[in-house]
Amino acid sequence: MKKKAVHYLNQFFGQVGGEDMADFEPVLHDGALGCSNIFNGVAKNVEITHTLICGDNFVASHPEEAVERCLKFLEGKSFDLFIAGPAFKAGRYGNACGLVGKAVSEKFRVPVISSMNVENPGVELFRKDIYIFKGGARATTMKPDIEAMAAFADKIAADQRLLPAAMEGYFGRGIRHQVFLADLGLEPVPACDRAVDMLLAKLNGAPFETELPIPAQDLVAIAPAIKDIRKAKIALVSSGGIVPSDNPDRIESCSATRWGKYDIAALERFPAGEYKTIHAGYDPAVANQNPNVVVPLDAIRELQKQGVLGEVDDYFYTTVGTGTTQGEAARMGQEISAVLHARGVEGVILTAT
Amino acid sequence: MKLEIGNFVVKEVAFGAKTGFADGVFTVCKEEALAEVLKDEHITEAELHIVKPGDEVRLCPVKEALEIRCRVSGAPGNHPGVTSGLQSAATGRVHTLSGAALLVVGKHWGSFQDGILDMGGPFQRDTIYGFLKNLVLVADTDEEFERHEQQKKNHALRWAGMRLAEFLGNTLAGLTPDSVDTYELDAVNRRCAAAMGLPSVVYVMQPQTQMEAMGYNTLIYGWDGNHMLPTCMHPNEILGGAVISGSFMPCSSKISTYEFQNNPTIKRLMKEHGKTLNFLGVIMSNLNVVMEQKLRSAIMVAQIAKNLGADGAIVAEEGYGNPDVDYIQVIVELENAGVKTVGISNECTGRDGKSQALVALDPKADALVSTGNVSELLRMPPMKTVLGELDALQRDGLSGGWAGCVAADGSCVIENNAMFCSDHPSGYSVKRCFEF
Repeated sequence: MKKKAVHYLNQFFGQVGGEDMADFEPVLHDGALGCSNIFNGVAKNVEITHTLICGDNFVASHPEEAVERCLKFLEGKSFDLFIAGPAFKAGRYGNACGLVGKAVSEKFRVPVISSMNVENPGVELFRKDIYIFKGGARATTMKPDIEAMAAFADKIAADQRLLPAAMEGYFGRGIRHQVFLADLGLEPVPACDRAVDMLLAKLNGAPFETELPIPAQDLVAIAPAIKDIRKAKIALVSSGGIVPSDNPDRIESCSATRWGKYDIAALERFPAGEYKTIHAGYDPAVANQNPNVVVPLDAIRELQKQGVLGEVDDYFYTTVGTGTTQGEAARMGQEISAVLHARGVEGVILTAT
Repeated sequence: MKLEIGNFVVKEVAFGAKTGFADGVFTVCKEEALAEVLKDEHITEAELHIVKPGDEVRLCPVKEALEIRCRVSGAPGNHPGVTSGLQSAATGRVHTLSGAALLVVGKHWGSFQDGILDMGGPFQRDTIYGFLKNLVLVADTDEEFERHEQQKKNHALRWAGMRLAEFLGNTLAGLTPDSVDTYELDAVNRRCAAAMGLPSVVYVMQPQTQMEAMGYNTLIYGWDGNHMLPTCMHPNEILGGAVISGSFMPCSSKISTYEFQNNPTIKRLMKEHGKTLNFLGVIMSNLNVVMEQKLRSAIMVAQIAKNLGADGAIVAEEGYGNPDVDYIQVIVELENAGVKTVGISNECTGRDGKSQALVALDPKADALVSTGNVSELLRMPPMKTVLGELDALQRDGLSGGWAGCVAADGSCVIENNAMFCSDHPSGYSVKRCFEF
């Protein structure tokens, strides 16, 4: 008897429509659909019995509602695995696969298998929550990407030994366990020989692979002090999510990929009602009553009047810090600092929450 | 300096009327051997057993493993400064039983550093002792002061092991070994041009020395490793018995005296010497509890390595958790001194595998060998025979055991931490951690 799986697809691969249908609300479809058929064609121990389809924008703009409605469809359904994507390099699709997959994994305690390209932001966001296979950048790799997911699903269904992430082909989930080398079909080389061989490679400039990778630390050197702050131009930058009330740049409330730059030249302080926070990671009540507690425009204007500061930049720069990956944060930081340099800003007051 | 180790390859260990080695069989006269053990009045009971690979036997609490060997020439005994007068262990000749070990097991009482091991079944392979023919000393002592302490010096039993291994080993003195391994290194500045042209390498050892009270730490020529600064040693001194295992380290991280006597990393480096590298020698360091002490030792190690002209280093840590700081600090100091370094240690990633592998991390530690996960959960089926007392595992504070971890049928659940020497930071480990 084959194990049952549910397959999550976006509006495009779920054959609803293209970008114009990206707000499509979730539906559960009986049976396989589109690329689910490729999966069912190769999987020996697993069969996709239902497809769950939802528009990428619907998930992005209503993440909680989308997840809740998807989970609701699955209640009472009998399934052993959950397949999501492949999402290739499509960021919103990857995000949706991750969000829904993570929720399904937590609620139904079934293995969740997805596939994304290394550059899909969904990888860093969800690699610790679900199995994400290393997939291609575009849908031209649909077949091999699905075959990799199906082969792994088959192994899980047959209760076979699962190999380390690098050998199976998914992004490591940050889970480290000891394994005897022989159990992986590897030569049982004792640690002394692995160490000497690694040292010889390191000494001879040959490639070697550490067995315990240390996560890269991106430490930024502290800039030299401003010589005379009374003449300096200072800017306000924040990851606290303060934006004009209509959030004109549609900065995400969580896992931000966008930042905004807004004119404050005429403002003495942020008036409540005209500015608010869209940050989903803290209680917004106080910040909405008085956005200046997050971005201290009122205080810096006061210092400006007292002559403590030279000048305040005519714009403030803002994004959301919660759930935002280090990679996205670094990119946005570089983009913002390029603008600051161009505008002759010498110092920044950076507020987080 | 030249050290010869004559090997007598053991096919079988047996009890008999007269102790001695003939035709691959090492015969032990039990009465004679027990009489030697009982010469110490603190040993109250003693028994000997023989176990071989595949036997359905579980040993617990295992306190120490030693090689059955003797000194033919050079130092006056197997462990100068501990069981005999002081003399360098680096030269002369040793005769040893190859493929066998003496295991010392508490008859009742265990301690933090003691462990468990199986001779058969699915966990036979977790320690090298599962593949050796072992003589097992099971004994009790009158050391009432530490009877109910989690930390025990285990002095009477550890010394009984050393005395017995040497007493039995002495019967090999006049015999002709099956093979002789010769370990010889000239002074670092008097080597042949071929060796001098190769990358120069040091082996940095960090044995466990973090107990501030005396009597628990690794001894180097009888000197407590807690009371020394790192120093340069000849590799032959380690193989020749200058270092004995302490009684403090969590058990899977432990390096037994057997593993100091046979250190496979030293043996491999000696083999490579003159071929792919120039083995400068051992820097004997230690592990400390105070940050300033850790830093001082790390700076000393890097200084010695640099002054010896090392291009590369291998660092091995006996322990996990707090001493990871000493381990990473030494690697960082060596790398800062321009010495390309590889580390050997276990990891502690938790039962779920999600915890940070080492307490301290640094991007300069870019070449690490992993030997296992301290906190891997292991479910051990019952064995037909238990030597010692399995209850010690759940009663006496063994690392990796806890109240309720032993079932009535003799099966038990442990963290790898309790598996005797199983992570083998000395270099024997054929397992490692992988990311899933």
